[in-house]
Amino acid sequence: MNVLLAILLILAAISALGVVFSSQTIYSALSLVLTVGLLAVVFLVLNAQFLFVVQLIVYAGAVMVLFVFIIALLDPAAEDRPRFLDLRLILGVLAVAALCTAVFVAARNDVTYDTSCTTQAVTCMHGYTVGSLAATGDQAADPFHTFGFPENAVNRAGNVQTLANQLFHTYVLPFEITSLLLLVAAVGAVYLTRRVAVGPRRDPQAEQRWRDDLVEGAE
Amino acid sequence: MTLSQAMFPWLLLTAAFLFTLGALGVLIRRNPLVVFMCIELMLNAVNLALVGYSSYLNSEEGQVFAFMVIVVAAAEVVVGLGLLTRVFSIGRELDVDDLDELKQ
Repeated sequence: MNVLLAILLILAAISALGVVFSSQTIYSALSLVLTVGLLAVVFLVLNAQFLFVVQLIVYAGAVMVLFVFIIALLDPAAEDRPRFLDLRLILGVLAVAALCTAVFVAARNDVTYDTSCTTQAVTCMHGYTVGSLAATGDQAADPFHTFGFPENAVNRAGNVQTLANQLFHTYVLPFEITSLLLLVAAVGAVYLTRRVAVGPRRDPQAEQRWRDDLVEGAE
Repeated sequence: MTLSQAMFPWLLLTAAFLFTLGALGVLIRRNPLVVFMCIELMLNAVNLALVGYSSYLNSEEGQVFAFMVIVVAAAEVVVGLGLLTRVFSIGRELDVDDLDELKQ
């Protein structure tokens, strides 16, 4: 399982490079399809079967088809002048690298899970303590600490059933707000793509010349 | 099967790498379609981290939140691509450096 997960993660990272550094837009889209599919398999390996199916249907099925359709419709040209060695690029890379390092270090070290709640930690809500408050003797040796949950307790009733229990009991209000969000997005998309006379045409003089040519051709 | 302790930092590192790549693409690419794809990449990286934590901590709440993130990403793509077709229909070039009317 570890080897499979490592191979999947490496492949996902390589195909994500293709998303950013492809010159043609359609290659970026196809690389993103590959990345999304690989991440779906990662979800499957991580025992999140429902998200595996949702990822395949929503991302690979709906979102990427929409992307490819828009690419075919708009036919964007390849970028002829990549912004290399630009000051903005250098600053952006530095800022993003710092952000990445900060996020990774924080995720690896600073958030711990204290199941016992018996330490002298000030904040001990729902077992979560943040920072070094929960770092006691034997826990400090293990950067991720040990967790007191039984093995694979999440999926005892099945992944879909467990998630449905969470979605429709604990998180029913965010779930309903999500439906409202989808409705607003659908209405907004229809409003944006409706067919109206939008502003001036691309070039009124060119259209006039085109009409004049038509008249001359008819004569 | 839950996530083993040896693989967990590598999964986090991959998620951070994908997020970084997405942010870099948003910064250096000029095609708004590719910018949208890079945003999708960032959202997928966050989903990977959420599902990894969910598997590692034996808690399903990360998967619930990843599901919400997928829904929000789908809505964002629909509205964004609608905006792009609208911009293209009034005869503009697809270049994020040229679309700066809101600055003026």
